[in-house]
Amino acid sequence: MHHACAAELRAILGADGLVEDRSRRTAYECDGLAFERRLPDLVLLPRDTPEAAACMRVLRRHGVPVVPRGAGTGLTGGATPVAGGVVIGTARMRRVLELNVTDRFARVESGLVNADLTRACAPHGLFYAPDPSSQRACTIGGNVANNAGGPHCFRYGNTTRHVLGLVVVTHDGEVLDLSEPDLDPLGYDLVGLLVGSEGMFGLVTEVTLRLTPSPQRVETLLAIFPSLDAACDAVSDVIAQRLEPSALEILDKLTIEAVEASVFAAGYPASAEAVLLIEVEGSDVEVEVNANEIEAILAGRGALELRRAQTEAERARLWAARKGAYGAMGRVAPDLYVTDVVVPRTKLRDLVHRTTEICRERGLKIANVFHAGDGNLHPNISYDRRDADELARVLDAGTRIMEVCIAAGGTLSGEHGIGLEKQQQMRLYFSPEDLAAMELPRHVFDPEGRMNPGKTLPIRACMETRTKPLDEVTR
Amino acid sequence: MDAATLVDYAKSLDCVHCGLCLQSCPTYRLTGRESSSPRGRVHLMRSVAEGEAPADADFAEEMEFCLLCRGCESVCPSGVQFGRMMETTRGALSEAVERPLVEQLSRSFGFATVLPSRAWLSFLAGLGRFAQQLGLPQLAGQLLGERGAALASMPTIPPANERALLPEHSPAEGPVTGEVAVLEGCVMPELFGRVNRATVRCLTAAGREVHCSRGATCCGSLHAHNGELDLARRLTRETVEAHEALEARVGTELPLVVNSAGCAAHLVAADHLFEHDADFAPRARAFARKVVDFSASLDGPALERLAARLSGGPARRVAWDDPCHLCHGQGVRDEPRRLIDLLPSVERVPLEDSEACCGSAGIYSVLRPDTAAQVFAPKREAFERSGADCLVTANPGCQLQWDAGLRRAGVTAPVLHIAELVAERLPDAPRSDGA
Ligand SMILES: Cc1cc2nc3c(=O)[nH]c(=O)nc-3n(C[C@H](O)[C@H](O)[C@H](O)COP(=O)(O)OP(=O)(O)OC[C@H]3O[C@@H](n4cnc5c(N)ncnc54)[C@H](O)[C@@H]3O)c2cc1C
Ligand code: SF4
Ligand code: SF4
Repeated sequence: MHHACAAELRAILGADGLVEDRSRRTAYECDGLAFERRLPDLVLLPRDTPEAAACMRVLRRHGVPVVPRGAGTGLTGGATPVAGGVVIGTARMRRVLELNVTDRFARVESGLVNADLTRACAPHGLFYAPDPSSQRACTIGGNVANNAGGPHCFRYGNTTRHVLGLVVVTHDGEVLDLSEPDLDPLGYDLVGLLVGSEGMFGLVTEVTLRLTPSPQRVETLLAIFPSLDAACDAVSDVIAQRLEPSALEILDKLTIEAVEASVFAAGYPASAEAVLLIEVEGSDVEVEVNANEIEAILAGRGALELRRAQTEAERARLWAARKGAYGAMGRVAPDLYVTDVVVPRTKLRDLVHRTTEICRERGLKIANVFHAGDGNLHPNISYDRRDADELARVLDAGTRIMEVCIAAGGTLSGEHGIGLEKQQQMRLYFSPEDLAAMELPRHVFDPEGRMNPGKTLPIRACMETRTKPLDEVTR
Repeated sequence: MDAATLVDYAKSLDCVHCGLCLQSCPTYRLTGRESSSPRGRVHLMRSVAEGEAPADADFAEEMEFCLLCRGCESVCPSGVQFGRMMETTRGALSEAVERPLVEQLSRSFGFATVLPSRAWLSFLAGLGRFAQQLGLPQLAGQLLGERGAALASMPTIPPANERALLPEHSPAEGPVTGEVAVLEGCVMPELFGRVNRATVRCLTAAGREVHCSRGATCCGSLHAHNGELDLARRLTRETVEAHEALEARVGTELPLVVNSAGCAAHLVAADHLFEHDADFAPRARAFARKVVDFSASLDGPALERLAARLSGGPARRVAWDDPCHLCHGQGVRDEPRRLIDLLPSVERVPLEDSEACCGSAGIYSVLRPDTAAQVFAPKREAFERSGADCLVTANPGCQLQWDAGLRRAGVTAPVLHIAELVAERLPDAPRSDGA
């Protein structure tokens, strides 16, 4: 890092707002996609919008690339500084700036942790609906950048449905205030454009979010199935019958075993081949009718056992276990590759089969835990990144899975974004014309190509900042 | 430094980098710096072991900055054994790091000379008491400025009669529900003799025959925490041997009831220290299984007996603060609450983030008073929001930290060990806060 540049930044942030030394910077070299690593030259931890804007102006003057980072729980390498430069972390920007209970919105700093928002509004009978499984750690800024989903997004929709406004610091340090909680903005809906832009359009510093009234009643159902097929079919039936649970999650045997061995053990039966976790919410009558109809379908599909959570504590345990599933897979192997694809919900069973086959053919260990209601599959492949050959097979399987899902009418990504992981595979889905069109707004927000360079859009030779495609990085 | 001995590499591979531990970490919450988070520290360790990052002073500083509260272990789905990894790394660091001479000398005096010796402990306690009576620490505080501040905020050392050791045998009151041993501890009798006596009082009221061994002083927990692994091994071994001798004398196996969460968390895992000592490991393992926290030791008929004897006592609204080494270290969460909820004229109110570290962390609050105070700040705020008029915990370090922290902020609420809260409801008991 240029000496003068660092000194200017230190003057803005104070010494404890910079992470400069080699050892500490190591912690910022990757996100959840840990085989792809690059050390940032410097890490900045601003405390508010003005500090962030001041930093961005300095960085622009020195022509330094910038990578926004929330909690680094992303699974696609989005926060990894592949082109070097500066990482700006939002970990010290986590205040709730305004909680408007009557109008049901919150204005928060982008580093606020997702679960902390729900915790802050719970006493008022409200909650923040998008609930990624990483919600105890991931930030609102990261959720906005990746348009994150979660189990309950089946009913409530992904992050974009809940963002009312944003404050963004642009590449040159300008503060763009799009935070009027206005349902129909004048002119272009820039907020809509910014959600899901993966840190390439600017650094989000504040977010205004819609809060949702907590349902009168919530019922959590657990169905145990003798096969993964039966569980998938049950989901397709529930959807076909137009029933409206708020969440529909499937966990397979390997996942259950891992979770039950962990601190989050919740009493999922280890003998089950698959478990379907369903939540129904609404008024008493609505919940009762819905739950009964769903239970009838589950029984019809051969569920061996049906349970309802008896207490709030039991319900919380079931969900904590579901949400700890990724981490629990660490018991199987040192690394986990989480594929994120979406398929038509009528084809769940076939595609789960296909993905499993693809992994088996390559000698890979796969576990399935996914947002079944959304048709959002997460084949979880366990591996060891120190084994170059295994890593190559994992990446190959990942690509193959995407191809199969796209061929079946699905898409590349449900909620984790593109980042580094799926950059090349964008070509499977989009034509060169589409991709060229997508570069236009990027150019508007980032004419110098300094914002999270080397991500998301497949790079053409002329503007290459990252030299190697992923599958060549199998070191 | 030798990367191979510095890191427990195999254990570092258990981390899948999910990040679910970040928010449970006080040093991450304080700094927002990922290298000060559990995932960051594990990543640093792994990188050092793989030769990708240097084992330099910055690395060492991040390792020592850790409170070793093990809050990360309670939320890690992958079962990363963070505490054990950190003990290994600190052990190797303490051999490799060049410390300033004064620090070196005072560390070795404290760890190797004072803590293992009852004579030194009580001599220093007596000296400290004398100095405090003369008002010397306040004077030093004024003369030395910031450096002296630590002296001025030292815990008040109780008079000699409160520092008397426990009797070797205390008979059960009424029919016997079981025989147990209690761990007297090293600093416990000097600073918290009253807690030790309250512990025995509760146990005997619950029908326990209580034995106390004089064979060992310090159990080595503070040493293991601070990278003094050889000394830790020696002291833990002495503790095991003393317990075995006591059992031989009494003629039966005895559970060892421990009222200090830090010591208990260390002792329930005592066998790990002897992984490479095939002769002693089985003895350590057998011993470890007998170690039990005070509140967890009271169940079934003993708890019923105790409950039947409780009456009166000062009315209190209490907030229970889980000591890290009780909830994270031993997984004990329900038992203290169950015990408190039995007590007449006590109302328990919820305390937010009761499982977060108070910043005491063994001798951390002495080594890094500023950080410890910053870690404590949100705890105090949560206490004030809770509406409680009394804070209850179960670890001497936490008790000191809470007491000093509340006093600094002008809060007068008493800070009690759970055994004290129970004991003041037994016949003829004095109030625990002396009021
Ligand atoms: C255990 C586990 C479970 C998960 N479950 C889910 C799930 O159920 N649903 C789901 O959608 N995702 C899930 N994820 C993925 C991940 O948690 C989400 O993508 C999350 O939104 C990332 O948030 P973060 O704060 O960690 O962001 P980071 O990983 O730090 O960053 C993610 C991206 O956002 C950008 N970014 C971060 N902050 C800002 C900002 N302030 N301004 C602009 N850009 C920014 C980064 O540059 C990067 O491109 C899971 C991950 C894990 C590890
Ligand atoms: S929770 Fe466990 S597996 Fe996940 S990052 Fe933390 S230490 Fe690693
Ligand atoms: S032991 Fe405590 S301070 Fe250390 S990394 Fe874990 S949570 Fe953080």
